[in-house]
Parts: sequence; C-alpha cells; structure tokens
Amino acid sequence: MDKLINELKVKIIDTLNLTSVEPAGIDAEALLVGGELGLDSIDVLELVMMIEKDYGLRIDNKELGIRVFASLKALAEYIHQNRPETQP
Amino acid sequence: MRIFVTSLGIISPIGENASQTLAALETSACGLAPLSLFASSVDPPLPSGEIRSHLPGDVPRTHSLALIAAREAMAGIVAPPDAIVLGVTTGGMPASELLLKNNDPDPEKFRYHGTGTVAHYLADALGCHGPVLTVSTACSSGMVALKIAVELLKSGKARRVLAGGADGLCRLTYYGFNSLQLVDPAGARPFDKDRRGMSVGEGAAMLVLEATAYPPAGALAEVLAVGLTCDAYHPAAPHPDGAGAEHAMRKALAGAGCAAADIDYINLHGTGTPDNDRAEARALQALFSTLPLPAASSVKGALGHTLGAAGAINAAVSVLCIVHGLLPANTGCRVPDPGLQLLPLSSPRREPVSTVLSNAFGFGGNNASILLGKPAATAAPVQIKNRSTAFAVLGSSCLTGAGDCAQTLAALRDGAGISGMAPAKAIMAGLNESAVRRLKRLPRMALSLAIAAHSNSGSAETPDSVFFGTGWGGLSETHDFLSRLFSTEERFTSPTDFIGSVHNAPAGQVAMHFQAKGANITLTDGDYAFEQALFSAGLIAHETPGTVMVIAADEYHEKLTPLFDASAAGAPTFSDGGCGLLLQPTDAAMGLRIAPLFLSNDPDSDLTMHSLMLALGGAEAIGKKYGAVFAGIPAASRDKGRQQLALFIKAAGCDCPVIDYRKVTGEFASASAVAAALAVDCVRRGELPAGLNQAVPASLHSRGILLLGLGRCITAVEISG
Repeated sequence: MDKLINELKVKIIDTLNLTSVEPAGIDAEALLVGGELGLDSIDVLELVMMIEKDYGLRIDNKELGIRVFASLKALAEYIHQNRPETQP
Repeated sequence: MRIFVTSLGIISPIGENASQTLAALETSACGLAPLSLFASSVDPPLPSGEIRSHLPGDVPRTHSLALIAAREAMAGIVAPPDAIVLGVTTGGMPASELLLKNNDPDPEKFRYHGTGTVAHYLADALGCHGPVLTVSTACSSGMVALKIAVELLKSGKARRVLAGGADGLCRLTYYGFNSLQLVDPAGARPFDKDRRGMSVGEGAAMLVLEATAYPPAGALAEVLAVGLTCDAYHPAAPHPDGAGAEHAMRKALAGAGCAAADIDYINLHGTGTPDNDRAEARALQALFSTLPLPAASSVKGALGHTLGAAGAINAAVSVLCIVHGLLPANTGCRVPDPGLQLLPLSSPRREPVSTVLSNAFGFGGNNASILLGKPAATAAPVQIKNRSTAFAVLGSSCLTGAGDCAQTLAALRDGAGISGMAPAKAIMAGLNESAVRRLKRLPRMALSLAIAAHSNSGSAETPDSVFFGTGWGGLSETHDFLSRLFSTEERFTSPTDFIGSVHNAPAGQVAMHFQAKGANITLTDGDYAFEQALFSAGLIAHETPGTVMVIAADEYHEKLTPLFDASAAGAPTFSDGGCGLLLQPTDAAMGLRIAPLFLSNDPDSDLTMHSLMLALGGAEAIGKKYGAVFAGIPAASRDKGRQQLALFIKAAGCDCPVIDYRKVTGEFASASAVAAALAVDCVRRGELPAGLNQAVPASLHSRGILLLGLGRCITAVEISG
C-alpha cells in the first residue's frame, strides 16, 4: 500500500503540474480536494483520466468520486481493492 | 431607430431550414441519436445532435452549415449584407483534427482551419465587403455575435447585418465534453431530476438584422436588447447561484426598458448538465422573485448543444415562437427536478407571444441574454448616437522576443531586434507559478499582459469588461488535447486541455483575476484579431462606466503554427507575443488615445481605399494627424499588401516615416497588437526609436501614429497624443 501511495504522489504531481510540491509534502490522510494542495473539480477529472489509463478503473459518477478522492489514502485503497488482476 | 430581425436561416438536427425546424418543434421531434459521424471509442456511441444529410466535403462542416443557414437567411435579399458577425468555436476543426491525426504535413489543407475563415467564406459567397467579425466565446458565441451586430447597427456603421453562429461536430468537442463528464449517456434531458449532462450537437443559425425607424414590411421580430456579463468565477463551471446569468438577463431587460413581468416565454440555455440547469433555475428565481415564472423550455433535449451556434439557434427559435405563436416543449425532461422550482413546458403550446427572453451561457463564465419582441409591440426607439469610439490609454504592456515592454523599448532604442518568442521569464514576471499551473503559453501571456497593463496604469480601479483578440487561440492546449487523444486510440485525453483549448479561455482567466464581470468577448481572425477586438470594444465598452482591458496575443507552436499561419511558416525566426491596453472610453480630443477607425473585408476594391481615406478625414487631415505610419503586411500577402500601401501613400500624399513593423516584431497574428503598444509609447515620447526607423531616431513632430493593417483585410487604428 505504501508503494502505491508513493507511486500516486508522483503521478499526481506530474499529472497536475504541481511544480512546487514534493512527494513527501503530500499527507496521505489529508483532504485531497479543496485542501492544501489547492485541487478542484477540474483536477479531479484529470486524475479520473489518469486512474482509468494507468489502473484500468473508471470513476464516472459523482458519489463514487467524492468517496474515492476524499484523501490519497482512500484513493490508494480504492485502486488496491478494485484494480483488475491483469494490471502490473 | 430600432433593430429588426427581417429574415433568418437555421439548420440543426431537427430541421434543415426554418419551416422544417418549426414542424419539428410543433411535434416535439427529437434529433438526438448515437453518433455515427466518426467511429466512437465510447461504446455505445453517445447520443449526439448530428446532421445526417450529406454536406459537401470541400470545406469543413462548420463552413457548410454556416453557408446553408446564411443562404436561407439571405434568400430573396438582393444586396449583400453590410457586415457579417459570426460566432464560432470549432471553425475548421472537424477537418483539421483528421489531418492532424493522420500527420498530414500540407499547410494548404489547413487553409480553412482558422475560426475566422468561416465568416470570410460566407462573405466571399455573399459578396459582403464590410466588416467581417468572428466571435469565439464558447457556447455563448452565437448570441454575443448578435450583440455586436446590434451595436454595429446602432452606431450607424451598417444598415443590414448578417449575424449568427455555427459549429460542426468534431472529435475535439465530442471527447472533450465527455472527458468533463458533462455528456448524458441517455441523451440530454434538461431540467430532469435524473439529468446527467448535455448531448453535443451541430448546426447554424443566421439572422438578418436591420436598423430602421419603423418595422419594415415582413419584419419577424424586434431585437429589444442583448445583455452580456461574465461570471469571473470558474473556467468551465457556472456560478452556482447563476449570479452572472441573472445579471445578463437584468441587463437585457434594462436595455429594453422592460420588466421581468413583461416576458411571455423564456427560451432557456438548459444544456442538461446538473450545474448549468441549477444555476439557470436559480438565476430565474432571483430575477422573478415573487412573480410567477412565465412558460419556459430548452430545445437542447431535441437538437443537442450546438455550442457556438447555440445562442443564435436559440434566438432564431425565439423568433419562430413570436412569428408562429408556438412555445416549444422541453424535450427529454420526464420528471422535472423538484429542487429547481422550474417546470419547463412538457408539450408544445400554441399561444400568442409578444416578448421572449433567450439565454446562452458558455465556458469562461460568459453569459448572454437577448430580449426579442413582436415588431408591433411598443418599445423605446433607439436613438442613433454619433458616439466616439476612441479610448483614453490608461496603461499598456507588451511581450515580444525581447521581453516585456521596457525590455522591448530598450532593445529598439539600441537598435537591437525584438523578434523571436517571448521569453518565459518575461511572461511569468507578474504571475504566480502555482496559480497558473494549469495554464499553458497563451493564457499565461494574456494574463501577464493584462496584469502589466493594469499595473503600469497606476489605476486602482480594475477593468469591468475584457476584449481579447487571438489569431489562433491556445495552440498548446489544442495540440496536447488532440495528440493525447490520438495516441490512446481516442480513449484518453486531458479535460484541462479541453477547457484551455477554447479561444476565450485566456479572457476568462483575465476576468477571474480582475473580477471583471462586464462583457467578456474574444474575437478571432488570423492577422486581424486585435483590430476586431478593439473595434468591438469601441462598439460596446461605453455601456458601462468602468475601464476596459483589450488584450491580443498569439503563441508560436512548433507543430501547429507552421501548418496554420502561412506568414509565420516562412519567417526566419519563430516569433510570438502580444499587448495589453487598459482603456477608458472618451469623447475628449486630448490625452493619449487609441481609436479603431476602419475595418474592411474588401482589400482589392478602389472603393475600399476611398472609404479608408474618408474614415481618416482625407489627405490633408492625414498629413496633419500622423507623424508615422505603422504598416502591418503579413508575409503571406506581402505583394498585395505592398501594393495597398503604395496606393495609400499616393492617395494620402504621405511623407512621414512608414514602418513595415513585421520586419521588426517578427511574423505572428498578433504582431499588430505589439505595434499598437509600441505606437502608444512612441506617441507618449514624441519620437520613433532607432530600431523602428532604419537605425535613426525620428521626431513625430507632436503628431500621432496610424496603424494600418493590410493584406486580406484593411484596417486602420489611430494612436494620438
């Protein structure tokens, strides 16, 4: 799980062009959207695209999105529990 | 003088002319069906508003649709329109995206790419020689075009204008809106409790607007007023309370001297997205307060969201409602959302309609509302006012290959070059890296220019309205969106890039930065976008007391610029940049001023040169007023431009320095904007720097500068002190 969280930190920084953020600076338990990182709904859609592309998981409704993007930890858990077996 | 709709043409998924459209509205026909125009990676293909009949393949779909509607509107009218104003967002993209997908390297095949080419295609087909303007304010474009047309008529610069909007379906919009999760897989059902989004559509509507004192025979409707506002809230989502939408409707009512209670029917924007419909419903609640809402419906459940055409299609449908006494149903909505307190018409209704309010909202927080009335209805006559279109220049900025304004001027004084791409450091000088992390080159330039122009004005007041000119829009975003789409078999793309790819995205950023909630208009047309933005500002900015920010910029993109911009393609250096001007409408004949004086689409006629001389006050006045001429001759039309310049110099008997400024700035669409910023500085100092005048500084002898645009169009802008 830690490996996945660290991997996601790098991907989030890269996907959202968070040039002033270091992976170590992201708190996995903290609010992912509307928190210190300054992420909003457009960023969430960008992450939805990344997660579908890289992990084969589609998040296409608001209710699921709110749950999955609550925190980095919640996101990692969702991916861990649901990613298809075929994914590396 | 009043403004009347005397004719119209419309093509949409429910009908290919006005009578078919009317018949479809009478029976609540639905034109939505799974996309078949191209193979969809979304399975099953999303319900879309596609026009199924064959369109000629020699031009992109947008051009074909626009011409079909324009021909219908102009049927039976012998004289060509005095001007054309068209709202477009995709332009030639339906064809260009396929060429890009196939890595086609031939620039000739992209000749219809530019958003401005659609209006010029109409002008060529119809023989229009007057101003040809292209508005690109996302999904409000078609209605904003009507606003500019109305003001053009009121100014007396035209007596009959053809105005409207057009957009063809393409991958960019189909996948773009889907990436934003704004497309309803079941088809648009505006205001329904289970609505999940829009259906992307295509179409065009063109209205012939005429200014006369009394309703002309056969007048279909009267344009009572058009209100424009900007949310200045979010790049893509509406203000949650519909504050900007409410304000636009209020502006339309105030402009017409009407009250909410006068409205018989509201033709809603109603896209079917949860956010839009909620914001629009809340705006109506605020507007009507304790009054009962009149009958209301959205036609987007029937014909889809036709984007740049939508505002014009809504206006055309509203005119049909007035003429035929028909209120169309809100197709698609089965169970109205109880949270919205808005019960749209569930079936068409036959009843006389005198006054209709119609809405169009778009990305960038752009809101437009038009109030249309029966020609017989009483309305305050519009007084034609010979108003000056001049602005006092409060602040100016520019970006060039040399850097910001100060760096550019220093380079020119030293006789050094200023061509090249604007350095990232100069662009970022007033910007916060994390605040602009999602913005690519063009919006960064626009924001940087606006902030610099405001800051060097010393004004504490922020601008109320924003006018942005761009030849080609955000090329980085467009390129990145499409290349990611095509490299993933059309399965993945970037929602951020989609939002950034609309031409008005930079102007939306400027509005958010300054909380500029007045009109926010982006004009796009290759080498003449800056002039069109300034010209439009001259027509509209006086409506509100505040200041206006006029910006024009273009970015160099290594892949797309050589394909799209023939002048830049052959240039020795890759150049880009732009300018920002903080302006205040003025009637005063003193102080540093800029005034758009002339805009013609007919570069080859002797009459054009004659009209230009008239607009400038004749040869003697030209000699007295101007100490230099800055001539903009795009490389792709160098021979023609040089001939035009020679004709002008001869006609005006010009003996002042004539600066062929693209030799200095480099070749890019907004080079004229840079020239304007340089002219402002030269007039302020009273001299031309060495770098502009063959290595010798020259006095302007207390005179101003004439900025001439030559080539495919002829434009004139005066900078005076």
